[in-house]
Amino acid sequence: MTPLDRAWRGGRNDWRLHFLSIFSVAVAFVCLAAALLVVFNVQGIRARWASSGRASVYLDPGVTEEQVRTVERALRATAGVTTVRFVSSADARRELLADRVDDVLAALPPEAFPASLEVGLEGDDATARLDMVAKQLSALPMVDRVETYGTWSQRLGALLAGGVTAAAILAIIVLAAVVSVVSSTIRLVLQRRHIEVEVLKLVGATDAFVRRPFVIEGAAQGAIGAAVAVAVLGFLYAIVRSQFDGQLGAMLGMTPTFLPILAQAGMVVLGALLGAGAAFLSLRRLLSI
Amino acid sequence: MDTPTGKRAFGQALRAGNRFDVTAAQRPILVFEGVHKAYRADAPVLRGLNLEIQRGEFVFITGPSGAGKSTLLRLLYAAEQVDAGRILFMGREVGRLSAASIPYLRRNIGIVFQDFKLVQNWSVLENVGVPLEVLGVAPRIIRTRVGEVLERVGLAGRGKDLAGTLSGGEQQRVAVARAIVGEPALVLADEPTGNLDPQLAVDLLGLFEDIHETGVTVLFATHDRSLLDVRPRRVVILDEGKATDVPDGLEEELEDIDLYVA
Ligand SMILES: Nc1ncnc2c1ncn2[C@@H]1O[C@H](COP(=O)(O)OP(=O)(O)OP(=O)(O)O)[C@@H](O)[C@H]1O
Ligand SMILES: [Mg+2]
Repeated sequence: MTPLDRAWRGGRNDWRLHFLSIFSVAVAFVCLAAALLVVFNVQGIRARWASSGRASVYLDPGVTEEQVRTVERALRATAGVTTVRFVSSADARRELLADRVDDVLAALPPEAFPASLEVGLEGDDATARLDMVAKQLSALPMVDRVETYGTWSQRLGALLAGGVTAAAILAIIVLAAVVSVVSSTIRLVLQRRHIEVEVLKLVGATDAFVRRPFVIEGAAQGAIGAAVAVAVLGFLYAIVRSQFDGQLGAMLGMTPTFLPILAQAGMVVLGALLGAGAAFLSLRRLLSI
Repeated sequence: MDTPTGKRAFGQALRAGNRFDVTAAQRPILVFEGVHKAYRADAPVLRGLNLEIQRGEFVFITGPSGAGKSTLLRLLYAAEQVDAGRILFMGREVGRLSAASIPYLRRNIGIVFQDFKLVQNWSVLENVGVPLEVLGVAPRIIRTRVGEVLERVGLAGRGKDLAGTLSGGEQQRVAVARAIVGEPALVLADEPTGNLDPQLAVDLLGLFEDIHETGVTVLFATHDRSLLDVRPRRVVILDEGKATDVPDGLEEELEDIDLYVA
């Protein structure tokens, strides 16, 4: 009978304890995985924003069509610029008022909706280039002001840093939770099986031999708990995603993604290692016979 | 993991006619020299106990409750440590074994307890086979060996039953089977009949005598007077922390000692 067989036999006999342990580990891991999922997606948005720039070039109300076309041509000739779209004052008004019945907004004069050129840039140094282009454009007489949305990128960066900190703290809590849950479960299991352990030691089993199935059970609790957490989160993610997909994607300029397979596997491995370690530590001193 | 020192220490001494040490077979299998043991300083249990047991002997250890019978056996399989003196098993000093060697000591000793110490939700086969499993013996060979041993203790064909479903007498036979399945040189029994009714107790004693017939040294701790009278045997009485030998046939001497405290 291999240690695996012995662990299986033990796990089957004490399945309620194991179930409770796996459930607790899963709850802890759901928190961690959810935090990671958020961080991962914000990271994705940020990465996309960093490699693509967007600027709105607001034009003076008195600008002529000729002048607009000159600026447009100049922009198209600039390296990295991929799109240039002219939005007239009337277009801007229509876009803002679209599917909205708002008397206050509708009553605003046409000057409140300045014409603009919507510029898109792509490439690794898009943000840096965007700043340069913005500076040059601002100097032109018919340009009122240039909005580069730089503050948004900064805010996103701050959010990401906060998210990473939160995830790190959660990771530590999860670590502690998994270790304490698994070790107390293993101690309980050990108590329930003290006759078995006593018998093994009396017939000359080494401590390593006695310990092995318990360590396997601890590792299994951690790994199964983590795997259940990933599965549950994946299920929740699928529900959320099916509701939001269109708008969310358009708004953020990216589609949300689930945790990469490596992160999923990493969490299962982390669970296994923590469980095994916790079991090992709680069995350091086996029954002294 | 297996430590080579532990294996060598008992692996060689185990074989009676060991070619490296021809005198091993003649030397006593077990020697207690001035053994002291106290759990509490003010109440010593063993006070300079001396005892020598030869290979292949059948010895009753008796004495009033609390005399230290169980303690003596526990010292022997290194569940406790002596305070002073020494215990030699096959020429090796038990008290000086490293923690890693203790499992190898125990593989040469079969132990039977009053409370059977069977894992109730394991089958008889699993319970009896456990000493072989610890040795890494292949499952198929374990099944064969356990089948043979179960036959010897009168439980042929009961391997698949759960230990918890057996009667007390049957459970104790399972425990005996487990004690002998690894063919140990020494079998210890600590009050093995304590939970059995008188007829079953005599039957079980017979089983130990059968085991003794095969050349195994048996130490049988009991305070059941009636068992001592079944057949003349060497009887060692523990009292006041010392061991007194009662030679065969001197049953009158036993009469003087009050074995019953209750
Ligand atoms: N682990 C322990 N801690 C403290 N005292 C103990 C311990 N084990 C035994 N003792 C004491 O040591 C003395 C001897 O106990 P032991 O169990 O060896 O007696 P015994 O001869 O086997 O008795 P019985 O016939 O009742 O089984 C008793 O007074 C007991 O209370
Ligand atoms: Mg006792």
